[in-house]
Amino acid sequence: MESLTIHILLEEFMRFDVLSWRAASFFFTASSLHRASWQKTQQMRESYNNMQILSQHLLFRRISRVSASLVALCRRARRGRDKGALCSKNSTLHPSNMLSRLVIVSASGLKSSGPLGAGLVQASRSLHTSSQSLAPVPPLPEKGGKVRHGIFPEEIFQLLYPKTGVTGPYMLGTGLLLYMLSKEIYVINHETFAAASIGAVIIYGVKKFGPSVAAFADKLNEEKVAKAQEVKDLAMASLAQAIEDEKKEQWRAEGRSMLFDAKRNNVAMLLETNYRERLHMVTNEVKRRLDYQVALQNLHIRMEQEHMVNWVEKSVIGSITPQQEKESIAKCITDLKVLAKATQARATA
Amino acid sequence: MAGRRVALKTIDWVAFAERVPPNQRTMFNNLKTRSDAVAAKLTSLPEKPAAIDWSYYRSAVVKAGMVDEFEKKFSGLKVPEPVDTQTALINAQEAEANTTAAAYIEASKGRIAQYEKELDKFQNMIPFDQMTVEDLNDTFPETKLDKEKHPYWPHKPIAEL
Repeated sequence: MESLTIHILLEEFMRFDVLSWRAASFFFTASSLHRASWQKTQQMRESYNNMQILSQHLLFRRISRVSASLVALCRRARRGRDKGALCSKNSTLHPSNMLSRLVIVSASGLKSSGPLGAGLVQASRSLHTSSQSLAPVPPLPEKGGKVRHGIFPEEIFQLLYPKTGVTGPYMLGTGLLLYMLSKEIYVINHETFAAASIGAVIIYGVKKFGPSVAAFADKLNEEKVAKAQEVKDLAMASLAQAIEDEKKEQWRAEGRSMLFDAKRNNVAMLLETNYRERLHMVTNEVKRRLDYQVALQNLHIRMEQEHMVNWVEKSVIGSITPQQEKESIAKCITDLKVLAKATQARATA
Repeated sequence: MAGRRVALKTIDWVAFAERVPPNQRTMFNNLKTRSDAVAAKLTSLPEKPAAIDWSYYRSAVVKAGMVDEFEKKFSGLKVPEPVDTQTALINAQEAEANTTAAAYIEASKGRIAQYEKELDKFQNMIPFDQMTVEDLNDTFPETKLDKEKHPYWPHKPIAEL
């Protein structure tokens, strides 16, 4: 959009001779664009091609400054033209030179940022469709507006298609170019070749290294976002874990009654044990006493028995006199002799 | 000889063990061993002592009336039950533990609420690639650059870059 505006304005410039008025209007447009771009810059995200936006904004500032000086120059040129032929000839050359330089500057500046320029304007269009300001700011579209050959917006081709078909805009462009060349509105001079060479080099550079530089810038951004994302994920995971742990601790604390049940059980068991032990002890002691009595009685009886037996034996043995002892021994010997004879007789028989 | 039976609660040691936090495990093990020892001792003792055969003793002991006297005294004897001094203490301990546990659970719930609030903040925040710097400063106040304290870029001490 900006490229189209500038081109149309410049074309207007070339057509008419009221240079200072056109310069003023160009200055006004450029400064309004400058204002618009500054507002846009303020609204854009920091993370999305900051440099691009800033450079665009700076470019607009440069253009407006240049156009301000251009206004002054045009006025001087007109005064010079009014004054006389010689000096005015030099000075009349100046505005067109300046203008051509301006065209080149703006064109080359916009060539590199053309697609994005158009795209940014389109984005701003989508941003400002509703009267409210959206928060969070919706993300920018991935690609800028469609352009052909790097600078001409697709909208012109669509605009002219119903009337002039596919080749219409090309014809328009060729016609404009030939008109400018033939009427010497655009004069071919050394600057033309300088502009062509510089433009060629710039186009080659952008085409060759543009994607890789963009990828590098994107990677830097991606790394920043990834780091932040990692921090966020870590924080969320640790928070969830902390919640889980707290819940677990609460569950643990609920089991405290079991501890006290165990303690009371222990106490009850000890008491019961003690009681049983006491019962047992009582019984055992009574039994022991009774058994003692029984044993004592038995002991008495046995002792009496033994004593009596001993006493009887002693008295019997005491009562045997020596006379009786001799007689009993002699009787024993005769008995033995008879017995021996009897066995001898039996053995020989 | 009246045996009083206090209802012994069956304790599920497995479930109890699950709830023990790791730093109190040794205490739990000690408690378990002591409880098991006490229970074993209890089961090893028969509930009632063996009855005394009074008729045998009456026939055996010669002394008159001794057995009868013993028997009378024995059946009249009441073994005192041991006094329970500890259950009250345990109940007091339990009440105290209940209060501390309730306080702890309240504090824990407060912590959980705080964590959940922060979790919600993280879940509901806009994705990083749609944030502006102001959004970032709103979501994470610690990223806000103090422009009064450090008025010149980079608005923070060089060491923190």
